[in-house]
Amino acid sequence: MIVVDVDPTPTPVGELDDAAIDRLWEQPMRSVISALQEAHRDGRDRIVVVVPTIGQSGGASYAAQAALAEAARVLVKSAARQWSDRSVNAVVLDPSEWGVDPAVSGPVSIAPRARSGVVDPLPLIEWLSGDGAADVTGQTVVCDGGQWM
Amino acid sequence: MSADPRLNDRVAVVTGAGQGVGEGIARRLAAAGAVVVIAARRAVTGEPVAESIRASGGRAVCIETDVADTSSIADCVGETTKRFGRLDVMVHNAFNGGIPHRLEDAVIDKHWNSMSRTAAWASLACARLGEPHLAESTRRGVGGRLILVTSPSGVEGSANIPLYSPAKAAQRAIAKSLAREWGPLGITVNCIAPVAGSPALMTAFDRNPALKSAIEARTPLGRVGDITDDIGSVALFLASDDSSYVTGQTIVCDGGSFLGL
Repeated sequence: MIVVDVDPTPTPVGELDDAAIDRLWEQPMRSVISALQEAHRDGRDRIVVVVPTIGQSGGASYAAQAALAEAARVLVKSAARQWSDRSVNAVVLDPSEWGVDPAVSGPVSIAPRARSGVVDPLPLIEWLSGDGAADVTGQTVVCDGGQWM
Repeated sequence: MSADPRLNDRVAVVTGAGQGVGEGIARRLAAAGAVVVIAARRAVTGEPVAESIRASGGRAVCIETDVADTSSIADCVGETTKRFGRLDVMVHNAFNGGIPHRLEDAVIDKHWNSMSRTAAWASLACARLGEPHLAESTRRGVGGRLILVTSPSGVEGSANIPLYSPAKAAQRAIAKSLAREWGPLGITVNCIAPVAGSPALMTAFDRNPALKSAIEARTPLGRVGDITDDIGSVALFLASDDSSYVTGQTIVCDGGSFLGL
């Protein structure tokens, strides 16, 4: 399991100089690439990449972090296309798991969730890591209780 | 005045406009009356495009711009506003990279750096440097526009160039985020994901004629897009008042080849 390192600090685009882009986008994205390569080298046949929904929803003052989340999610698809001998999938969680205010992703995220209660993604991740998911690859599963659709 | 007056007197910067999709977009915007800055890495490619537009009655200049260098983008924006007094439409199309590779063997410096710099970094730099001028455009009564040229691979992944996809996916997330951030400023931000007859694709067809047939066969419209008439026209829509209520979107302009968005 690879959890993408998303910085929760809101950063308007006007503050995204080269140093900020390197910190919020470049370095963590390189870590994702390296982690996938390492998982491949280690012979992992089930790889799950965990990202926040802001990659798909976008987030005001989170352009660099959203870019990171979405890039990691789509890299999963590329990996799945090349690595036909293993399963590679993305699990997408509420951005509050990273300390990001869910309201940044707009009115959709402040609508009532489809399901109430605490969201527990571990059973989903366990299933994706098991034999039952052998034919599931390149997929994205959003596990946030129906907050973002 | 242009026969199509939709962008009369507006000022547009198009990066990577010395050839391919960028050139097509620049020609279409100029045909609709815009003053177009051909922001090309090399004047040897950008200047002939600007000259050709001027010869057709349009208004265009070439400003050498390397989008891998933030200061070069800043110089381009500064020179544009100094010469023309405004910037209404920023189109970031330039891209460098795309060497086929295996993901497990990819080397950051060889297979990632230039794609990250020219896609994600440059999109954010164009946004940051363009923001004050695009906001001023809106205050002037003309909606500021940022248009990012991405790729269908940024949605569906790539088996051939796996690191190309995340670089392009990043641009879609940037567009969505800025659409939210800039909505109160009246600036719209959208992406185009084209498949078009760029020089790179034409070269690939020359090397592998079967590739052209394969792409046409999987495309419902049965052909590869034209850089000006097909892709440039979508850019014109997004640059004009016709798209005032469209923001945060990706228009996949590929003849229906990819239908999974």
